[in-house]
This record gives sequence, C-alpha cells and structure tokens, in this order.
Amino acid sequence: MTKITTFTLWGCLALLATFTASALSAPPKNKDETPPPLLSPEKVADYIHAIIEADRKFYTAQVVNRMQERGIVKATEHWENEGTLPLPAQFLKHSGQVVAENGSGIRYRLISLWPINQQNGPATPFERKALETLADNPAEPYRGIVTSGKKRYFQAIYADRAVSAACVSCHNQHPLSPKRDFRMSDIMGGIAITIPVE
Amino acid sequence: MTTAGSPPVRPSRWGLKGKLIVSMLLVGVVPLLTGLLLAFFQGSREIREVSGESFKALAIEAARKLDLLVGEEVARTSRIAADPVIVAEMERQRDARHDLPEEERQRRAAQKRDKWEAKDPATVKAITDNPLARLLREYYSGSSTELDQMLPHVVRAATQMLYITDLDGHLVAALTAKPPYDNGHYAWWKGAYNNGVGLLFIEDLYFDERSDTYVFSISLPIMDSLRYETVGVLHRVIDAKAFFSPSTHPIRFGKTGHVMLIDSRGIVMSCPILPTGVRIADPDLIPLVTPREPGWVQAPSDGHGGTSKSIIGFSPLPETSRATNGSIDEGAWHTFVWQSSEELFAPIQHLFTWMSVFGSLAVVLLAALGSFAAGRIVTPVRKLQSAARAIGRGELREPIAVKTGDELEELAEEINRMNSQLERAFAGLTSQVELKSQEVRILEQSTDQILDAVPSPIFMVDHQGAVHYMNRASREAFDLQEAKPESGNLYDLLHLPAGARDRLKRELAILGNGQGRERRTPATRTALARDPLVPGGGEDEADRRELQVGNAVYRYEWFSLPARPGEEARLGLVLRNATDESRLQEQLIEAEKKGSLGVLTAGIGHELNNPLFGILGLGEAIQHEPDSEQIKQYAKDIVQHGKRMAGIIRDFAGVTRADTGDRRCSVDLARLLDSALRLVQQSMGEWEIEVEKRYGSLPPINAVGEELLQAFVNVILNAAQAMKGKGRLTITVEQGPVLLQITIQDSGPGISKSHLLKIFDPFFTTKQQGQGSGLGLTIARRLLMKNGGHIRMESTPGQGASCIITFPIPQDAARTEGKG
Repeated sequence: MTKITTFTLWGCLALLATFTASALSAPPKNKDETPPPLLSPEKVADYIHAIIEADRKFYTAQVVNRMQERGIVKATEHWENEGTLPLPAQFLKHSGQVVAENGSGIRYRLISLWPINQQNGPATPFERKALETLADNPAEPYRGIVTSGKKRYFQAIYADRAVSAACVSCHNQHPLSPKRDFRMSDIMGGIAITIPVE
Repeated sequence: MTTAGSPPVRPSRWGLKGKLIVSMLLVGVVPLLTGLLLAFFQGSREIREVSGESFKALAIEAARKLDLLVGEEVARTSRIAADPVIVAEMERQRDARHDLPEEERQRRAAQKRDKWEAKDPATVKAITDNPLARLLREYYSGSSTELDQMLPHVVRAATQMLYITDLDGHLVAALTAKPPYDNGHYAWWKGAYNNGVGLLFIEDLYFDERSDTYVFSISLPIMDSLRYETVGVLHRVIDAKAFFSPSTHPIRFGKTGHVMLIDSRGIVMSCPILPTGVRIADPDLIPLVTPREPGWVQAPSDGHGGTSKSIIGFSPLPETSRATNGSIDEGAWHTFVWQSSEELFAPIQHLFTWMSVFGSLAVVLLAALGSFAAGRIVTPVRKLQSAARAIGRGELREPIAVKTGDELEELAEEINRMNSQLERAFAGLTSQVELKSQEVRILEQSTDQILDAVPSPIFMVDHQGAVHYMNRASREAFDLQEAKPESGNLYDLLHLPAGARDRLKRELAILGNGQGRERRTPATRTALARDPLVPGGGEDEADRRELQVGNAVYRYEWFSLPARPGEEARLGLVLRNATDESRLQEQLIEAEKKGSLGVLTAGIGHELNNPLFGILGLGEAIQHEPDSEQIKQYAKDIVQHGKRMAGIIRDFAGVTRADTGDRRCSVDLARLLDSALRLVQQSMGEWEIEVEKRYGSLPPINAVGEELLQAFVNVILNAAQAMKGKGRLTITVEQGPVLLQITIQDSGPGISKSHLLKIFDPFFTTKQQGQGSGLGLTIARRLLMKNGGHIRMESTPGQGASCIITFPIPQDAARTEGKG
C-alpha cells in the first residue's frame, strides 16, 4: 500500500514537473518562426499557481481524504517512518523541491507568518509585506521584482487557505505551531513563486 | 496341584504397591509439572511481551529526545546560515565569481590552498579572522545569540569544526586552522549544495583524523536572501560521543538496561557500554533492529557480544533520519534499547527455581503419602493372596480376617464362603471317587475272574506283539506260570515257528493300521474265510487261522480292545484248542464218505440189478430161442445192458475214487452236471422229477472233475430229496463277465429263513434219522471252495429253493470267449 501511494505521489510529481517544464520551455522552441507574443511573468506565475493548486487539491481530495475515509492509510508528518501518506503541505513542499532540483529555475514554496518550521517564515521584508497584504486582500496575488545581490527575480505570492481538515488540525495541534486557532478556509499563509528575470 | 507347595517367586514384592505409588505420583506430578511449566512459559512470554513493548516505548521516547537534540543543533546551525551578514557576504562572493575568468579563479584558489595547507599565517588569519569567521566565533561562544537562547556548553565542547565554504567548496571562513581548504568533492558538500537548491545534510558517523575522534557533521546550505539558491555551505563537525552521551547515558534501568544510538550500518554512535565507532558484533542483528518503523524484536544475540536471546526495542529518529546522508533512503539513525537476558528473565528464573523446589517437595510428599496409602490397600490384598494360596493347597482352616470395611473385606468374605463351599464339594467328590474306584476294582476283578474262568487262553497284546495280559488258561496251557506277562512278546512265549510268527505279525500290522476289515490281502481273505472243517495239511496250512503249538492245534481270533486315553490300542487274542475237534471232524467226514458210499453202493446195486436181470432173462431166452435172428437181437440187447452197467460202474468209480491230490484239468461243466443228474436219478428209488436244463455257452473251467461231480451230486441229491422225488428241477448255467453261475432250482417246500443260515453247517439236517448225515451240503461247499467256487442258498418258503454256485471265469478262457 505504501508502495502504491508512493508511486501515486511520484506520478503526480512527475506530471506536475512535465507541465511546468513544458509551460516554460515551449516559447523558445518557436523562436525561429514568427516571434510569439511574450508572456508576462504575472501570467506565468498565475498558470503555475493554478497547476500547483490543482495538483494539491486533487491529492488532498482523491488520495489523502479517500484513503483516510476508507481507513486504508493516513497522512502524517513522518510519513517515511510510519508507512503513511505525506501531508498535503508536504506534498507541495516536496514537489517544489523536485521542481527546483530539476534545474528549470522556477521555485515555489509555502510561507507563513506562523510557520511550524522556522525556515518557512518570510525570508525577506517583501515576503512579510506580501503575507500581511494577503491577509487583508487574499483575492489578488502580491507581485513584485526582488533582488538577491546582483540577481533579479519576479516573485508572486498567492494567498493559501486551509484546504482540508488535516491542515487545520495539524497546525492547531503541532507543538511548534505558533498559532492554534485556524479554521477551514482560513488564510494560513501563501505560496511564493519565484521566477528569475534576466 | 503340583505347584501348591511352592508359590511362584517374583523378583520384587513391590508389584501392586509400586504401581499404586507410581499411579499416585503420576496423577499428582503430571498436572503439577504441567501447571508449573505452563506458568513458566506463560510468564516468560508475558515478560517478553511486556518488556518488548516497554522497550519499544522507551526506544521511541529516546529517539524523540535525540531527534530534538539534533533538531535543535540543526536549528542553531541554520540560524548561523541564515544570518543576513553571512548571506550578504556569500551573495557578494557569488556575484564576484563572474568578475574573474575561470582560470584566474582556479589559480588563485590553488595558491590559497597551498598557503593554507602550509599554515601560512597571513592566509590562516585571512580565513580564521575575517568578518565571517568572527561572526562564527560569536555564534560559537554564544555572544551572538539571543539572551534567552544560551548556547549550551556541551554543544560548544562537542563542536570540533565550524566553517563556511563558497560555491566551489573552498574554505571561506573557519574557527580554527583544522578544516581542509577544498571541500567540493565531499559527499556532504555536494549533498548540502544540491545543485544550488540546497538541502540539509547530516553525515553518518566517521573517524575524523583532524579532530582525532568519531564525529558526525551537519551541513547546511547558505541560501541567498530570497532563499532562491545556494550561495555557500555551512559545515559543522560534531564529536558524536560528547554530543549524544549526556542524553543517552543517563537512561539506565536495572543493572544493564540502557539506550544506545546506532546508524543504519549498525555502527554505534553512543552507548554507555560499547565505545563509539564500533560495529554491532552480530551482522544478522542489524536488519532486525533498523527498520523504518519503531518496534521490538526477540533477537538471537544482544548486540553487545552476548549470544543469548534478547529483547530489543528500537526506533528511528524521525526528523534526523530524513536528512541523514541527504535522504532517509540513504540511511537513518536508530535508538536501540536493551537489557541483558539474565536480568530481564531473572524474576521468571527465580519463579522457576522456587517452582522446582516446591515441585520436588510435592513429589516427595506425594511419594510418602502414596506409600502409606498403598500400604493400607496392599496389606489386606497380600492377606487375601496368601489365603488363596492356602486354599489352593487345601490348607485354609481359619477364615480370613480382613476388616477394612470396604470391597476388600467383602472380597475376603466371598473367599471364605467360596472356601467352605469348596470344602463341602471336595468332601462329596472324594467319597464319590472312592466309590468309583471301588467299582473299577470290582470290575477289574470280575473281568480277571471271568477271563480266568474261560478255558480258552486269552492274551492281550499291543501292536508290537508285547503281551500285556494273559489269563489263567493261557498260563496253564503254555506252562507260563513263572513268566510274567510283561516279560516278553507273544511269539517268544508261544515258541511259534517262523511261518506262524510272520503271519501273526502281518495280521497285527493290518489290524493295527485300522484297515484289517476293509482291505484284506488275498492271503488274509483266505485266512479269514477259512472253513474250519477243512482238514489240516496240504498247501492251505499257512493260510489257516490255526496255530500249531507243540502238539496242539489252536484256532484263534483277534478282537480289538478300546484304548485308554493316550495309549495305543490293544488287541485281544483268543485261542481255542482245536486238536481234538479237527481229529473228530476228519473221522466224521471219513465216516460220511463211507456212509454215502454205502448208499451209493445200494443204489448202484439196484441199478445194476435191472440190466443184470435183463441179461439173465435174455441169456435164458437165448438158450430156448431157435431163431438166430432173435438170438442176435437178444445178444444185441445183452450188449446194450452190459454197456449200461459199464457206464454205471464208470460213474460210480468217479464218485468214490480216493482223493488223489491235485489233478486239476479243464473240465466240462455240462458233462459233469449230466453225470451228477444221472447218478442221483439212479440212486433215488422213485424219480418223477421233470428236469429242465438251460445251459448257455460254457467255457471249460480248471478244476478237479471228480470233486466237482461229488459236489453237484450232493447238491442235486439234496434238492431231489427236498422235493421227495416229485416236482421240477431247473438247472441254469449263465456266464457273466467274471463269474460263471450255476443255479439249481427245485420246486420243493423251500427252506425257512432260520434254517437258511445253518444250511451249510456240519450235521445240520431236517431229514429223518438214517436218511442223511447232514454233511452233504457241507462237503459240497468244501469241495467247491477248494476248486475256487462259491455256493449259497436262496429260498422263499413254499416256493422252492435255489442253490447258486459261482466260479470265477479263468482269464484266458474269458479272453478266448471274448475273441471267439
């Protein structure tokens, strides 16, 4: 069962990676012919966000919830040791890791003002500002150009809600969680998508 | 009865008592031992289960504790890696990489490396005393941390090296001069750099020569300010023993129970007993205790050099294991909770010891009680046993005294009752036996007296001819007063000649085989069918049932005697002195012969008279007859009469010719019968008998003609006399396949059944005195038998009688007939 779920997971990840890669590498291929209209980074970030959201939503609803309801396998934090499924947030985080390791340049991760893991706090003042803004206006992503030394990146941060009961219960119960009064559909943080700008 | 005096001796007197004790022991001990063993095994099992579960829980708890310890260390290190000063410096260095061409950078790096390896003070200072190094030192000493997050002393002591490398793996800043300059080829560096993405990398235990101790390392990527990509690697080398022992060593339970930390290769990272860095002795144990999920196991060895069965609890460090060697698939760290088996199972061992002691006590107690109880049961049983033996000998006088108040007492009473009944029964039986013995004695005496009273000698012999008994007559007759009956066999006692001896032996053998009556050899048949009237002498001497003992002739008969059970059947031999009898008979037969000669002579005289008177008359007539023709006629008649007389005389000569021995020759039966008929006719005064002859084809038979003639004369004469000279006589001769049968049937009054049986007996006659001697048929039978024939008489009173004479047909004659 563990094998199957792992397989499913890797399947999903591979699917996501393919989508992402094709979305990003498609424009240069048609360079020789009539130059296609350039996509704005905002659009690219929207597309990617849609894919990330869809993947996690499907995973949450059709894998985690279904398996849990049937009593087959649960999703837990230490899924490697316990023969269980990764939590939806871990699914997103690890798929982001895989995408990053693919070397395509695009990165995305979950950030929050109340992270269980300190590394998932806002890394920059821009991100902090974004999270604070999104708390008031979750509908519109917070976008901007940020720099690291001489490098420039486009960053779009989308509000992220509690998509399942597992998210809420885990964050409300985890000993390292700074905030423990989440409810379903509350804004728990954001998905930060970073695209290098040449 | 023969064993009454000596009861069978058994090797041991423990029979019933021993069995009873053993039974009681079995009944008591088997459930006891079963219970004890079950308790022991169940106890062991439960101790194992409980210990295993608690070891598992302890392992999980220890794993969580160690996980937090490592986690905190990682967090502290990551705070260094996330320091904005360091991040900014590393971003700057990243950007500066593009200012110089590749070759120039490598040349400078090589130069710097050489200087660093040579401990060039300027270079060492440049690396260990630059702003980043100073920052590291601040973190290390704790002055750079927040006030409420004091760096524990132990972490400082445990940290062997702490340094920063750039994107080429070159040393950028370090606390000491110990770290190597080039790090890019290390697994930890590649793992933490992770192609610029960055990943926490916790390295497994290894021996670090620069630190001269077993260490593990934490490597963290230094991410740029956006956490977008890696700009450097922060590496921390930690002394494993110093780091973990404060956490693992205090966890002790019992004398030997403790927690240790191993990696997935089975190498000890921290253990209160084993030194850090050694591998677990038993390689088979490692896969048992390093699965990904916590648990406990009953292992064949304890991982500490012992080979006894051990209960081991284990658990991986959940968070740390994710980062060991880059991922959980590359290795994990595990806690290992163990307690020595001796200590673990000590309670159950004590229990077992005490159970054994109590069990032994119980066995002894059971044996003692069993012996006592068995004694109570066995003593009366022995009493009963000796009583039964006494009854067997017939010596039980006193009633058995068993007062146990249970079935044994009832049994004793039963035996007493049985004994008295037996005594009564035996008393009756004894008197009866005496009575019967008396009867037997009387019977024996009477038999002896009867046998002694019999004038004939009687012997009883077995089949070997040994004499077992002889009566007085035999003792007297054979002058055997002195000889004991058992002393010899019959032949010696009687001084028999060899021929008689062989005959008796043969007869004994035949009778002994039980075939005496059914299968008789021709010799025996002759002997048994012997006509006692045949005078002695001649070739029949050997076949006769007669014995010549001394001067006396004895006729003898065998009779069989019932055999006693288990003994050979005996035979009785009765002898009858026939010396006088046979002499008398011979005289009688001779007289009869002469008597009948007289009758015949008278008859012949009468027959001869008629022709003689005829001749005389004719002679006188011739004297007075002138006619010569007439004279010739008379002379012819005289010749006729003379011929007739000659025939009569010839016939007469045939009857009276003296016995001249065996002159057997082929004889014609028809001629003999005709001669006999004529003789009888001539001897009878009146003859009004109608004779019918039915002769078939008659083969000649081998016989003495004169003897057959006399036999036929006697038979026909008998028939004619029975018919008193009137009636019908039918003579039939038939030839069967083996026998020639002559039937002479008369129409006389017949013979009554009682007379029929005696008809051939000597001197038996129904005629008036002077008419017949009563020997006619006897002689006829004797003569016929002598010539191989057989005669019998059949009659129905009132319808005449038939005399049937049979001869065996000679084989050659029969064959000739068959061919002809």
